[in-house]
Amino acid sequence: MTLDPLVAPFNPVTLAIPVFVVTILAEIVLGRMRKARANYEARDTATSLVMGLGSTIAGGFTAALVVGTTVWIWQNHRLFDIPMTAWWAWVAIFFAEDLTYYWFHRLSHERRFWWASHVNHHSSQHYNLATALRQTWTGGVNGSWLLWLPLAFLGFPPAMIAVQKGVSLVYQYWIHTEAIHRMPRWFEAVFNTPSHHRVHHARNPRYLDSNYAGILIIWDRMFGTYIPEDDKEPPRYGLVHNLGDFNILRVAFHEWIGIGKDLAGSRSIREVFGYLFGRPGWSPDGSRETSASLKARWQAREAAKAVEPDRIAAE
Amino acid sequence: MEELYTLIGSAVAVALMVAVAAWARIARPSPALDEVAARAMLAAEFPDHAPTRLWIAADGGGVIARDGVRALVLFRLGDSWVSRALAWDDAVKAPVRAGKVRLRLRDPAAPVAALAVSGVNPWPPQDEEAVAP
Repeated sequence: MTLDPLVAPFNPVTLAIPVFVVTILAEIVLGRMRKARANYEARDTATSLVMGLGSTIAGGFTAALVVGTTVWIWQNHRLFDIPMTAWWAWVAIFFAEDLTYYWFHRLSHERRFWWASHVNHHSSQHYNLATALRQTWTGGVNGSWLLWLPLAFLGFPPAMIAVQKGVSLVYQYWIHTEAIHRMPRWFEAVFNTPSHHRVHHARNPRYLDSNYAGILIIWDRMFGTYIPEDDKEPPRYGLVHNLGDFNILRVAFHEWIGIGKDLAGSRSIREVFGYLFGRPGWSPDGSRETSASLKARWQAREAAKAVEPDRIAAE
Repeated sequence: MEELYTLIGSAVAVALMVAVAAWARIARPSPALDEVAARAMLAAEFPDHAPTRLWIAADGGGVIARDGVRALVLFRLGDSWVSRALAWDDAVKAPVRAGKVRLRLRDPAAPVAALAVSGVNPWPPQDEEAVAP
């Protein structure tokens, strides 16, 4: 069997579109029948789905650049010849792509320039299958796709990379649900699950900046970003500072506008660099909230709560 | 051409899913705020603040609470809530238009909060001491 290393034999995302539609409808109907935990608000759902639709259009504008660069690296600079027909090659790219995704996703949360593209995915206060499709319009222009070029440099054919990226995206669709409480323990230990990803979408300070996994949760466990879901503290979804309306352009571009305003008021190179590449919420005088400051204040409150009963008992 | 068909089909599917979501009426309950509910939500959104008195929007769709020089604002969006803080002085000066006080939040993510005002519940509060700390 031969496979064209430059042309993906199929697009997992395109193939999955009917599954997306059927399962979203099923989640809504099951929610309506009270057979599953699911909340849908029509305008929120419309916003998520139109963002998804727009994302496919926006991706088309930068596809030539992304594909062209990947093909150029692979054709001219690859270290090894990795055959598309070898089973071990698919196993290898499964792990390599998933590790790449972990770091892409972590970067997308922890540095404002990339957060500006990714923030829209977290902008819904709902957590359902439609939220999974609330995808970025600006992912192609922020250069994050460069992170996948080392795979082509290693020798993975562009078609393999494209297929595995699609597989990862499709995998991550089903975990955007409250209908599934927990998967079997062995599954929760290895794979990203609805429970793990609910934590990732939560705005509770204790859950911020965690569970960046794509398919395998092992990366979070390895790199110290894993936080389990605590049934005593249900996730509250959305952003630390939620959007004030359903305006689709605001969803897509608000953080970029915020960066532009901050840059316009910058007074030094340090401030320019901080506003662009600092953590979301970074400010020169530390007056804004970052995940770290929110977590620190939460920990201080928890510590005070723990001390309070002792103090009362002592009195 | 195949991509165009996929796009058109997806757009039709989006319309269908939104219509079914609207039909299902499974949004979260978000009843009008009373003082107890407003205080609970403020405590969750602003855990480091302790407002004493509140001004609740005429339709229960929002609340403005004073904590020293800060105004803590909560307002409804769909079946969810959005929170922001601003200077109390700016909140007091906010204009009332078409029955709503329009608070400028100076945030591209939420530029304005509009809360319903009524004759018996004017903005700013006639007795500002009523919402003073």
